[in-house]
Amino acid sequence: MSEFLQYLITGLGVGCAFALIGSGLVVIYRVTRVVNFAQGAFAVIAAMTVSSLLGSGVPHGLAEALAVALAGLVGLLVGLTAIGKPGTSPQSALIVTLGAAVFAYAVEILIWGDQPRSFPGLPASVTVLGARVQSHYLLIIAASALVFLAMALLFARTDLGKALTAAAANPYAARIVGIDVRRMGLLSFVIGGALGGLAGVLVTPVQQVTFDGDVVLVVSGFAAAILGDLTRPAATLLGGLLLGVAQAMVAGYLSTSYQSEVALVLMLVVLIAQAARRPMIQEEPA
Amino acid sequence: MTRPRPGTLLTAAATLALPLLLRDDHLTLYVLLGLSAMVTIGLSMLMGYAGQVSLGQASFYALGGYAAGLIGVHGGPTLLGLLAAPAVAAAVALVVGVPILRLRGHQLAFATLALQLILLSLLSDATWAGGAIGLQGIPHLSIAGVELDRDIDYAYLTWAGVAVTMVVAHNLMSSRTGRGLRALATSETAAAAGGVPVGRYRLLVFAVSAAFAGLAGGVYAYFVGYLAPGSFPVLLSVQFVVMAVVGGLGTIWGGLFGAAAVTLLVQFLTDFGTRPGMPSYAPGVLSYAVYAVLLVLVVLFLPQGLVPAVRKRWPWPRLVPTRR
Amino acid sequence: MSDPVIEVEELTVRYGAAVALDAVSLDVRAGELVALIGPNGAGKSTLVNTLSGILSPASGRVTVTGRLAHVPEGRQMFGSLTVDDNLRLGAWRDRDRSTDRIYAILPELAPVRRRRAGLLSGGQQQMVALGRALMGRPRVLVIDEMSLGLAPLVVAGLATHLRALNAEEGLAVLLIEQNARLALELCSRAYVLEAGRLVAHGTAAELASSPAVVAAYLGGAA
Repeated sequence: MSEFLQYLITGLGVGCAFALIGSGLVVIYRVTRVVNFAQGAFAVIAAMTVSSLLGSGVPHGLAEALAVALAGLVGLLVGLTAIGKPGTSPQSALIVTLGAAVFAYAVEILIWGDQPRSFPGLPASVTVLGARVQSHYLLIIAASALVFLAMALLFARTDLGKALTAAAANPYAARIVGIDVRRMGLLSFVIGGALGGLAGVLVTPVQQVTFDGDVVLVVSGFAAAILGDLTRPAATLLGGLLLGVAQAMVAGYLSTSYQSEVALVLMLVVLIAQAARRPMIQEEPA
Repeated sequence: MTRPRPGTLLTAAATLALPLLLRDDHLTLYVLLGLSAMVTIGLSMLMGYAGQVSLGQASFYALGGYAAGLIGVHGGPTLLGLLAAPAVAAAVALVVGVPILRLRGHQLAFATLALQLILLSLLSDATWAGGAIGLQGIPHLSIAGVELDRDIDYAYLTWAGVAVTMVVAHNLMSSRTGRGLRALATSETAAAAGGVPVGRYRLLVFAVSAAFAGLAGGVYAYFVGYLAPGSFPVLLSVQFVVMAVVGGLGTIWGGLFGAAAVTLLVQFLTDFGTRPGMPSYAPGVLSYAVYAVLLVLVVLFLPQGLVPAVRKRWPWPRLVPTRR
Repeated sequence: MSDPVIEVEELTVRYGAAVALDAVSLDVRAGELVALIGPNGAGKSTLVNTLSGILSPASGRVTVTGRLAHVPEGRQMFGSLTVDDNLRLGAWRDRDRSTDRIYAILPELAPVRRRRAGLLSGGQQQMVALGRALMGRPRVLVIDEMSLGLAPLVVAGLATHLRALNAEEGLAVLLIEQNARLALELCSRAYVLEAGRLVAHGTAAELASSPAVVAAYLGGAA
């Protein structure tokens, strides 16, 4: 029982990171219809930035905040490249963000080298209902809960959130009422960047990060987000948690070598099931 | 079949003569460039005609390589291995293609990426395929008792592979199927309404592009003699996408020139980056930066790719007047 | 005569090689109800989109004095947002986004203020589109195909609101309509646009008695 609880909590912690990355994908997709392949890179850049800042004496808290802000700025740059040129289709923009992700490799290796990096999080362990877990997992869960609450408030309660939704739902009408659709798109990239950065900052103390670790992160985030059709943050949160817990259980009870396949197989199953519900244009000639 | 254009004959002759003049390390580059071209020509068809982004094309390269490598390691006839490489890749494409080709755009991109990650993970766990350490001691290719053990042999084998790829791709594109595919590229709905069996054609292109990649993987296995999951990273798939996009999607020559341009540019930068005094990370940083910058610039400012853009400005002379 | 709020001089708009509007001149003065009628594809929507700055002219001049608000063709709701949210976004450029004034002007909207706009009837959506445009306190309203697809009774209700807004607040309106009968009843002046050119203009009474207009737009003998 205590073993189960331990897997559950670590799974929820890692799942929160997937959900944060996934919700970054969702925010960007909702507003711009672009699937941002560079979403994992935000996490890597923020995590590496924290390790450098801590190394040069910046205290915890400030280092993390600065790194998340930097990730938001990187998000803006990716957004400017992906949707800054008028007439770029979402399909082209996907390939541009793929290019941005590869470019991040060059920058990351230049600054931080190609070795894995980590930094300490909350040091202690706590006992929850008889299960000993690193208290950092609880920090991840609490911080993610706060962020998801803030996001929900942004979209449900503020005019800015409504304008973001409006720009996505009906760009023509948005322009008529004076909403700058491109600026909303860029703002969504900033939010997406910050969410990705937060995921990286939170998860790195329990999972070290390498420059090319972004692929697994973006795939996991996509797997979480696809449950909500890339548009529903609540479903993305659920998807991320489910994925994290499933991975922790597989790793705990079966084998760690099947851990990464959980997200991949789940994602494929969901994608194929969703496609099966949509009508195929035409399978055979009449 | 139409008669080849003078440019085609000239390119063929020049590339046939080239290996005789090359040093050994340049022969290796020649082979790798040709293998990339084979994969890229298939991917370019897939992306250009069937409108599908595949981020997992290196999977088929890996499948072909392992098929050929395993047959070779177990003492099977290597020629059979070379033939098995495209067959295995195409067969796998047919099986996975049925469910995943219903996906579109970003969904397919992520699905193909996921399939490659799963394949790499399975290969790492498969002790019968050498696991994470890889498959070692793959023999050279022997055809009718003649062992191909010099680099120049593989240069000519690769040349033949590229030629076969281009001819197959050309014939596929100028066939009835090809016309249907062109209609598909313009408008899926219109193509479907016009009686084009959209799903079947898309699957066909997927399988053919996988076969090209598989064949390239087979040659690679016998050329290098060693395979590991790490030889086929996700970045290799991205590299093929870069080559296809740079050359021009949906064009056969675009696949060839895209592969050539990117390979040579990266090689040039690697040479530059490994000069004395350069930091150890320089080659990696430079090649990542080049892939990224090329991809972004071409998608944004030359969306048709290099070859169509050049052809528009300087049309190729043709021996046979074209019917338009 | 009062000042013009919209002044269009020799306006030409092209889509590539195709000329959508060819040297069109018209004006709308403060507090005036003006109609622009014409068949489908005459260039009416091109004119509207140029007025609200979404398209740019190839030549000619468009001068708008004071704020112009646009009620687009097809209502263009933010379907997943509530009626109240749709209205608030109508004042996106302003600090004051209070919607009470709109519910006073268009009391039909008050009971549905919490409903999703996408779930409303066509008439209710047209009312929301009108309210959203009014949120920015415009001097002139450009209304594109207001009556399209709506029942006569619903259209009559909207027309009543427009007359009241015009009489009480001095709001000028440029009404772009395929329904010429409605347009000529509601407005004092009208322009007729065909194939990108203005072919007639005059008071509503003049046009309503012009044989050509009657034959083309009012269904034969009046």
